[in-house]
Amino acid sequence: MRPRLLRLAAVTASLVTAAACGRSVNPPSSPAITLTSPQSGRAYVEVTGLPSAALGALATASLSNEQWSALLRVAVDDNAPGMLGDYSVAGGALRFTPAFPFDPGRPYKVRFDPARLPGATGPAAPIVATVGQPARDATPSTVVTRIYPTADVVPENLLRMYIEFSEPMGRPSGVEHLKLLDESGQEIPGAFLPLDYEFWSPDHRRFTAFFDPGRVKGGILPNQQMGRALRAGRSVTLVIGHEWRDQYGRALKEDFRRVLRVGPAENRPLDTATWRVQPPAAGGRDGLVVTFPRPLDHALLMRALGVRRDDASVEGDVVIDQAESRWTFTPTQPWRAGTYQLLALDTLEDVAGNQIGRAFEVDNFDTVDKSPNPKSILIPFRVAPAGTD
Amino acid sequence: MRDLRAKLGLLVAFVILASLSPSSALPVVDTGQGPALASIGPLAFGPDGTLFAADNQGAAIFALDLGAQVNGGAPGAKALDALDEKLAALLGTGAREVSVTDLAVHPRTRNAYVSVMRGQGAGAAPALFRIDGAGQIANISLQTVKFQKVELPNAPVANTSARQNPRTQVVTDMAFADGRLWVAGLSNEEFASKLRAIPYPFATVDRGVSVEIYHGNHKAVETRSPVNAFVPYTLNNQQHLIAGYTCTPLVKFPITDLKAGEKVRGTTIAEFGAGNRVLDMIVYKKGGQEFLLTANNSRGVMKIPTAPFASAKPITTPVESETAGVPFEKVTSMMGVEQLDKLDDTTAIVISRSASGGINLQTVPLP
Repeated sequence: MRPRLLRLAAVTASLVTAAACGRSVNPPSSPAITLTSPQSGRAYVEVTGLPSAALGALATASLSNEQWSALLRVAVDDNAPGMLGDYSVAGGALRFTPAFPFDPGRPYKVRFDPARLPGATGPAAPIVATVGQPARDATPSTVVTRIYPTADVVPENLLRMYIEFSEPMGRPSGVEHLKLLDESGQEIPGAFLPLDYEFWSPDHRRFTAFFDPGRVKGGILPNQQMGRALRAGRSVTLVIGHEWRDQYGRALKEDFRRVLRVGPAENRPLDTATWRVQPPAAGGRDGLVVTFPRPLDHALLMRALGVRRDDASVEGDVVIDQAESRWTFTPTQPWRAGTYQLLALDTLEDVAGNQIGRAFEVDNFDTVDKSPNPKSILIPFRVAPAGTD
Repeated sequence: MRDLRAKLGLLVAFVILASLSPSSALPVVDTGQGPALASIGPLAFGPDGTLFAADNQGAAIFALDLGAQVNGGAPGAKALDALDEKLAALLGTGAREVSVTDLAVHPRTRNAYVSVMRGQGAGAAPALFRIDGAGQIANISLQTVKFQKVELPNAPVANTSARQNPRTQVVTDMAFADGRLWVAGLSNEEFASKLRAIPYPFATVDRGVSVEIYHGNHKAVETRSPVNAFVPYTLNNQQHLIAGYTCTPLVKFPITDLKAGEKVRGTTIAEFGAGNRVLDMIVYKKGGQEFLLTANNSRGVMKIPTAPFASAKPITTPVESETAGVPFEKVTSMMGVEQLDKLDDTTAIVISRSASGGINLQTVPLP
């Protein structure tokens, strides 16, 4: 259930619904509970209006967590234990700073028991308050911004797709929100690998959906029994359900739909000899353009290709376009005349998982590599002096 | 100018295989106090009480010396209903915002440790809790914990301008055996399951090996099928790993074979059915026999006698039936089990999900 939406107007130094002994307003010298949200740093709860002697004693007190919580408890509801956090005396007040930030929109119940103060004499009624921070806008606004591969036609042995979002998404895997529909609108069952691992990028804006390789790979039982989810010559519609939640628990703004035309399976290994490398001229910062005969995996293209010279990496920026079949590298510094190398890590794959010199369909025996590094392939190219014809 | 570029483009046919040393390749080992975990996932205890914690977001493994924080609790671990709600209360949030990512039992105190992620998205934060025999939940403060950290070899970036590498690693399971921490993991980019051995104390990490198995249901030698869960186990006086793969071969391989530069092939000894993955597994002894207990995402809990493992006929030909290999029985009394560990010689402790979606910590007699 979504947290109830609180519309608490005051964010900074808010005193919220404190009540003690039936009084709705505390006199200035009485203890009062406030929630403070500083410009930077974590919001905290304070009890102000305490005698300085009591604060002095608290500042040096060695209390257990239970004793602190009996004195001042901040909790998600009246019956819950106090949430984790640190107690301190600061700015003339008793302060509770939670170990984790307060959730926007969630009400927190605060209970201060003056009878637990050092030196307290006689009974005193606890002071309670409900504090909270304003809820976030719950209106769905997050959308799917892009799907890789971007080509209109994908091979029927497509191995994975990257789904990019306009805002960070929640932690759970999103496989359950993906559907593949055939041309009649019927769902193709079991298309995606049913792994509920969180295949997110660190910023939670990109999710990787793997097709079930048991169905993708030719000649194996799931493939023979169910066939590939994608069939050459047909079209499918990828539907991403709006129920998928973003990091604030909001559904997507809308369903996302994209039609994919399916082409023949791609079973050939990558062959760097088929790549077209167009070197720039020296003295400028024109892009080095590398064109591939078929689309490659977008994520791997971003990091498995680079430029080197004299055993050092060349700094620059990469642009990938033409449906992931063109890679353009613009150096930070102008090109110098001489020999550079295009470097390709052997982890580079096309959209069907075929690697350089190794097709996805080929079984092979890997070995334990002594080096943590993948192998690389170096492709030399010459940058001619400016003005050379 | 364009003509010139086209001519120079003809130079490219020369390809060199080389050993690469581009940026950020070697794993970094770090030590100190107060580890900064970006996330917390699978847990595993070493025999001396060192707690290994995987940080998927940070692509690292931490070895945590919990110090005095392991003491003071009642021995054992008590079952707790609505564990997610109880943890959420301590974390100051709602149960929906809490993900229990693993469960491990301390080898001496038998207290249960649960790793938790609080919140969603990139802002989610890790937390670690201890649950003792009286049902008390204690937060483990990481500020005072001494640690060693090793970074998993993230595929290096050939292009140094790729400032934010969106690749992450998903550690699926860890176990300590033979002086090494064994780590199985997947990536969110290249589709390849890797098993790595990390000597402890941490020093180096190998690149990992794709342990070759014959997948009877898939009628093929698989190199890329993900290892979901595994346990160390001794067969014929030789240390092995017993591993559960997706869709669901059970595989044994001697870990003495897993040496740099050698070819490795696991032996498939069972097929437990397609459309399934192993969530967790433990080994226990009952009535003089040893058993493997596996929790599965779509096929419930399975109890598998280990006696046939050593001499089990390897599955090397296509399996046309749904299951094959060493016998097993389904444990229908255990429902919704997501995490599993052995609490003591007669009891399992499990994280289970109720029909309503809530998470319970349960203690269950070993079947």
